[in-house]
Amino acid sequence: MAPEAHGRAESETGAASRTVASSLPRLLAAAAATGAAAGCRDLRREAQRLTGSSPPVFTPLPPDPAAADALHVLNRIGAGPRPGDVSQVAAMGPHAWIEEQLADKIDESPAVAWRVNTLDTVQMATEAPDALYSIDYGQLQRELSQAALLRMVYSRHQLRETLADFWTNHFNIFALKNEGSSLIPTDTERVIRPHVLGSFHEMLTASSRSPAMLAYLDNNQNRRRGDGGGPNENYARELMELHTVGVHSGYTIRDIQAVARCFTGHAVMVRWRRGEYSFDANQHDNGMKHIAFLDLTVPAGGGERDAGMVLERLAAHPATAHFVASKLARRFIGSSPEPLVARAAAAFLRSGSDIRSTLRPILLDADGLLSRGARTPLWKRPLDMVASALRAVGADTDCGEPIQRHLAAIGQPLYKWPMPDGFPDRATAWTGSLLPRWNFALALAGNAIPGTRVEIWRALEGAHLVTDGERIDALIAAFAGRHAHAADAEFLRQSLGKHAANARAAGLPESDLLAEASGLLLASPLFQTR
Amino acid sequence: MAIRWTRRELIAGATLAAAAGSGARLSALQSVTLGARAPEVSDTLVVLFLRGGADGLNMVAPYGDDDYYRLRPALGLPAPNDARSSAAARALYLDPRFGFHPRLAPLLPLFHNGQLAVIHAIGSGDQTRSHFEAMATMERGLSHDTGASGGWLARHLECTAISPQPPLRAVAIAETMPDSLRGASAATAVSSLNDFRLSPPVIGKRPQATRTSALTDSIREMYGPTAGGDDLLHSAGRETLRAMDAIARIDPNHYRPEFGAIYPKGDLGDGLRQAAALIKGDVGLEIACLDMGGWDTHVAQGREIGLHALRLAELGESLAAFARDLGPHFGHVTTLVMTEFGRRAAENSGFGTDHGRGGCMFLMGGGFVGGRVYGEWPGLGPDRLEGPGDLRVTTDYRRVLSEVLAARLRNPRADLVFPEYTPSAPVGLFRRLA
Repeated sequence: MAPEAHGRAESETGAASRTVASSLPRLLAAAAATGAAAGCRDLRREAQRLTGSSPPVFTPLPPDPAAADALHVLNRIGAGPRPGDVSQVAAMGPHAWIEEQLADKIDESPAVAWRVNTLDTVQMATEAPDALYSIDYGQLQRELSQAALLRMVYSRHQLRETLADFWTNHFNIFALKNEGSSLIPTDTERVIRPHVLGSFHEMLTASSRSPAMLAYLDNNQNRRRGDGGGPNENYARELMELHTVGVHSGYTIRDIQAVARCFTGHAVMVRWRRGEYSFDANQHDNGMKHIAFLDLTVPAGGGERDAGMVLERLAAHPATAHFVASKLARRFIGSSPEPLVARAAAAFLRSGSDIRSTLRPILLDADGLLSRGARTPLWKRPLDMVASALRAVGADTDCGEPIQRHLAAIGQPLYKWPMPDGFPDRATAWTGSLLPRWNFALALAGNAIPGTRVEIWRALEGAHLVTDGERIDALIAAFAGRHAHAADAEFLRQSLGKHAANARAAGLPESDLLAEASGLLLASPLFQTR
Repeated sequence: MAIRWTRRELIAGATLAAAAGSGARLSALQSVTLGARAPEVSDTLVVLFLRGGADGLNMVAPYGDDDYYRLRPALGLPAPNDARSSAAARALYLDPRFGFHPRLAPLLPLFHNGQLAVIHAIGSGDQTRSHFEAMATMERGLSHDTGASGGWLARHLECTAISPQPPLRAVAIAETMPDSLRGASAATAVSSLNDFRLSPPVIGKRPQATRTSALTDSIREMYGPTAGGDDLLHSAGRETLRAMDAIARIDPNHYRPEFGAIYPKGDLGDGLRQAAALIKGDVGLEIACLDMGGWDTHVAQGREIGLHALRLAELGESLAAFARDLGPHFGHVTTLVMTEFGRRAAENSGFGTDHGRGGCMFLMGGGFVGGRVYGEWPGLGPDRLEGPGDLRVTTDYRRVLSEVLAARLRNPRADLVFPEYTPSAPVGLFRRLA
């Protein structure tokens, strides 16, 4: 969203400026670099622009259905609206906004560079992966989660971040197995993020050489049969079952065994250039392999090229196209209706496994994301819930350990899903975790999470609202992105109104009353779905 | 009016539905559960993991095996009828071959009443004798520390999924989630049950209890049946509120054990007391996981006194108190006591023992044939030991776990819970029930 939209005069004592002031030296350098004016007030405004902490501002919503459409695409393509987003997307029109997201060429929010690129882990992952071994596991795990959360909360590339999470789970790696914590940052920066909208084949190839993946799925121990060793089928099995063709596509255990032999010797360096991919020709099974399911004969003596032949065949397989297309459809529209999935799968095959082309029908076709059938509310996973709440209230957050503890309590400690299938995307997996959601919602709105600051009262500022009813309606518009009179918000409106009336009768001061109402709004059934 | 589902009915429904295929899971489950109303006491599995490799040869001494005394001249427990040694040091008679460590005396009545069984020389295929790898192997339900990463209990929960998940279906009474529950999105780790409540931030000087109750009322209204139909989200909200109410009613801080049970001081006693409170509170608890540390007795393990004896005393007293406190619930609670490996057959020079292979498992509860020491005894002779001198593993730990799952938790799908395991003949714990 355009920073000018928030270029209002800031309160001299605003809490956000206090938070920002703690990083003042960095800020001054950054402000100077961007040629900002030196005036104190300008500086503060620039600080808010740089850190992406746009406090909630009461912006009247456009009328439905434009507002409802905008909210729908913001919720499904990204992690929900930030203050003002619904109006902005409605003004652009949902199609144009989706096209912009697909093009993936928006100027990034300075907040992302400001907050993410300064993390040691992210810098090392792109520059010197072996240096990651010098960082303790605690910092690695904290910063990995921090980077992912900050990007979801602050990036203008909402589709990119949704896909980064999608592919991270598709190619899931467990941080607590082997040296996962030291290896995953490189996987994130080099395997997943460069390819989220690009070529699936390239991402798959990168993943097959990712030290994190090879270590996680025991390919370090996948060797030609000989003294004291033999093939380990773990990677080959998940490559087919989870990464490409899917479990019911018709391959057999013999296919898995043959694929495993093609990947023998693909390992991770342990001493020199520690943590990098290596191919150990001595451990590679150089015999001929036949993979009946892929109708592929890998000739003897192929060495490292064996794996490439298998991956090329898998990436171009119709079962892979269908598996990937239906999984993407489920993420964005909650189901995988056949004519749509077939079109997306055809686009996948036609384009040589281009993810952007696969997404176009799902996001833009008449029976896709904007169709009536795609409007059934979907349960937010814990990550969706936490990120969307931080966005909704315009929180100024470092996404540090206190936020991560809430996310873990709700059930989704990032990079700590042990199985290779990734965090589940089914509602039934998360129904037991409502209480920690409620506690998170109340803590967030009550400003009780260290490192995270919200200014609820700003949502009502300047709107000249007199009655509690008007204020509740404004909170629902500001934080839930809905007209309070919309059918799905009506019950919430009544509940919050009743709560406010009782709280007022109990003598609760204004600011506490607003915090409680906002916390309840984030805890409500309405906010648990997208 | 919320329908209260007992866990056993839910499991029955889930198993049915799982058998019918995952596509049919939800509808089959709903049809089963919505029709079921009769209150019933549910089966609960309590898994107590002794961390560090508990010495099975000192827990259940093979006093009938002469090699035991040859290997353990200082640590060997005298036979129950050994008049030359002090009565306090002698093993407690279980059968002609085995005896409990004297500090496990509180468990003796349970054994003789058929409510406790011992499985000896049990373990996994792990050959590393590393705590981390052996625990990872066992908690993940594997043969070795490679392969599937999720826990065996998580896979059990997954293949008997309940909708909506009762929020307290699986609870680790611990700071962090044990590996056995990793991957169970519905499992909760709480160091204290008092954490399971709405905890709004303290604002100003408002009386906290008043605000908490006002906020709870508003959440109750928002998730009420009239708030938005009876969908999964609203019913899950009501399940959660029901569990919160139940815990508030139990008031774990002030829970009083019944039937004269006295838990010893310590984390284990506290944890088991909370588990008992949950079981009696009918919150839908199916699995509780607890840990007990301090079993890595390389030095000063001791015989009838020493580090090991102290741990055994706490273990025995805690389990006995738990059994007594459960009262009429006892028969529906299966308690499994396991460890990652046993210890070296021969004592070392520091009155301790080093990492070994075969160990002991205890099973306590109802519905099986207790009062017996199960497992093929491999012997302690020089040609009978394995590797550096360890008790061989003659019973794969998954034989017992899969029998418990099938008989007590109504989950016959050992193939899903233990993907690498080919079932062999059952140990026979549940043979009368078959």
